[in-house]
Amino acid sequence: MSKGYFRYFLNKLVWLFITAVFAFVLNFILPRLMPGDPVAAITARIAQGMSNSTGMKEVYEQYATLFGTNRPLLEQFFLYVRNVLQGNFGSSFSQYPRPVADILKSSILWTIGLQFPAIIVGWLIGNTLGALAAYLKKGFDKVLMPISIFISNFPAFGMAIILMVIFAVDLKWFPTSGGYGFDMIPNFSWDFIVSVIHHYQLPFWSIVLIAIGGQAIGMRSMSIYELNADYVKYSRFLGIKDSTIVRYVFRNAMLPQITGLALSIGTMVGGALVAEIVFSYPGLGYTLLNGVMGQDYPLISAVTLIITIMVLLANFLIEIAYGLIDPRIKAAQSE
Amino acid sequence: MGKIMLEVNELTTKYITRFGENVYAVDHVSLKVEEGKSLGIAGESGCGKSTLALSLMGYYFAPLHYTSGEIIIDGQKITGMDPDDIRRKILGKEIAYIPQAAMNALNPTLKIIHFIEDVIHAHDPKATKKEIYELARERFAILGLPEEVLQKYPVELSGGMKQRTVIATSVILSPKVLIADEPSSALDVTSQKMVIKMLKDLMEKGFVKAMIFITHELPLLYNVTDDIMVMYAGQIVEKGTAREVVFDPLHPYSKGLMGAIIVPESGVRNVKLTAIPGTPPNLKNPPSGCRFADRCKYVQPECKVRSIDFRDVGNGRAYRCIFSEEQLRKAYQNG
Repeated sequence: MSKGYFRYFLNKLVWLFITAVFAFVLNFILPRLMPGDPVAAITARIAQGMSNSTGMKEVYEQYATLFGTNRPLLEQFFLYVRNVLQGNFGSSFSQYPRPVADILKSSILWTIGLQFPAIIVGWLIGNTLGALAAYLKKGFDKVLMPISIFISNFPAFGMAIILMVIFAVDLKWFPTSGGYGFDMIPNFSWDFIVSVIHHYQLPFWSIVLIAIGGQAIGMRSMSIYELNADYVKYSRFLGIKDSTIVRYVFRNAMLPQITGLALSIGTMVGGALVAEIVFSYPGLGYTLLNGVMGQDYPLISAVTLIITIMVLLANFLIEIAYGLIDPRIKAAQSE
Repeated sequence: MGKIMLEVNELTTKYITRFGENVYAVDHVSLKVEEGKSLGIAGESGCGKSTLALSLMGYYFAPLHYTSGEIIIDGQKITGMDPDDIRRKILGKEIAYIPQAAMNALNPTLKIIHFIEDVIHAHDPKATKKEIYELARERFAILGLPEEVLQKYPVELSGGMKQRTVIATSVILSPKVLIADEPSSALDVTSQKMVIKMLKDLMEKGFVKAMIFITHELPLLYNVTDDIMVMYAGQIVEKGTAREVVFDPLHPYSKGLMGAIIVPESGVRNVKLTAIPGTPPNLKNPPSGCRFADRCKYVQPECKVRSIDFRDVGNGRAYRCIFSEEQLRKAYQNG
């Protein structure tokens, strides 16, 4: 690692830290700016049927003390920082007394299991199609492009709902909601795995299809640009084989696409939101929606914190890795 | 008379536009370059110089297409050969090309040595990396390029260094004929000088046996090449030795080009620069008579009607005009 590159690395690290601090503060404050009092809502739920207003007040006070909502915001913040650093995200308001960490643990795997393969598959298929369209041109390009543009401009919820209506409601090939059969308990039996795979298809393809369209368009235009680059002509005139030139072109066209891949992996959780909500898939997105509905500050903060950290890390890693892959960036960094 | 290295007879190539129109950018061009000689091709932009350079390679790809004529390199006719054979056996090996814009001529994500490996492997798959490195190192040393350049990416090189690297790479297989398309036009004077010196070295050290040098800078041609051809609207309008064409131009277009040169020497400070009015004709439908007629000071009614033949005045000197040598000289004396 050269000295210049190391300095660049440190610089990026410092910025990562500064951004993380700001994001952390916002993560804490923003949910708490929502109108309404979650403790009151919990009290109302717990004290159902209770007519004694002194008793209600007592219950309210008890929960307010428990959650710390009666302390000044600044004090709450420092308590929160201390707890988070110890890996404690507090208890959920809406699913009290379940700890937030526990809720996250059970939902994050669903999200990663749904999103990660979907992003990778969509990226691979999309880039291959885009590269082929640029290289083959003619009919293939003329068919693929309009379809890609059409699909990539679909709103995510639209795609999810269309797939649901066609394949779940009309054709009844797949279930409409959930991550597994509602009458099952998660375990490692065959029945359960089959049920998971069955429930997996629609949310998975609703994400993949949209990703394919966007990636294909990007890769196609990058490839066309590279195919017309001067170095392609020059390489041909030196007698270099077409297979070698195609390798040059697609490697160079791929570089910006790698940024796209890393970014979508980073924003995975946010991206999952819509597909998970439409299909009531038990992932982070669905959890976040529940948290927002229940004014569950600790849960919202924790989920958004995970999203923030993933986005920041993904960006950081791209910038670091990019410098190693692309000599042009490396040269610019070292200056 | 030395051995003829490159012979071109009545070569015609055309561009096919996306509307299906034919544009004949090289129109029945014939030329000969002997071993150890260099030929300069001059003309203003848009006159077909660069297209001629591409056409001479014998390998065509859209939008440029071969129409008729022949190219013979050292006795071997390459027109009519299978394009794949040309690619493998001729390009880079028998005839090499130096592009106008060296800035973008190299794949930005490939180290120079790896590019050279690809060039050599295209013609000799058995060459080992070690052999290639040795050859490249030796060749770069002879041509005054530092060995470190081999391990660098194109972005790490300055413009002049990049151009010289491109030249050294083009001739790595010691081609018989080198086509240099404005190799120094985009460079500052110092780099230009180094590039010119390098091209001269190539000839002297026998890395290339004959050279075609294309530029719009006539004084440069006079210093570098043995013979000069002047091109206008896809046709050769005059040819002769460098001295003849520069100091005693016959064709009114050549005369006009010489008048438009800025020479920063004492005594010429107050000489008025003359420009040739107008622009070259649109080659989609070239004029039926002399193509220069519309811009010519000495135009006759006849010029616009019949096509004008080459007038051979001996010793390889020829020009395309209805006037005789005496008539033209007299006309130039009278201004």
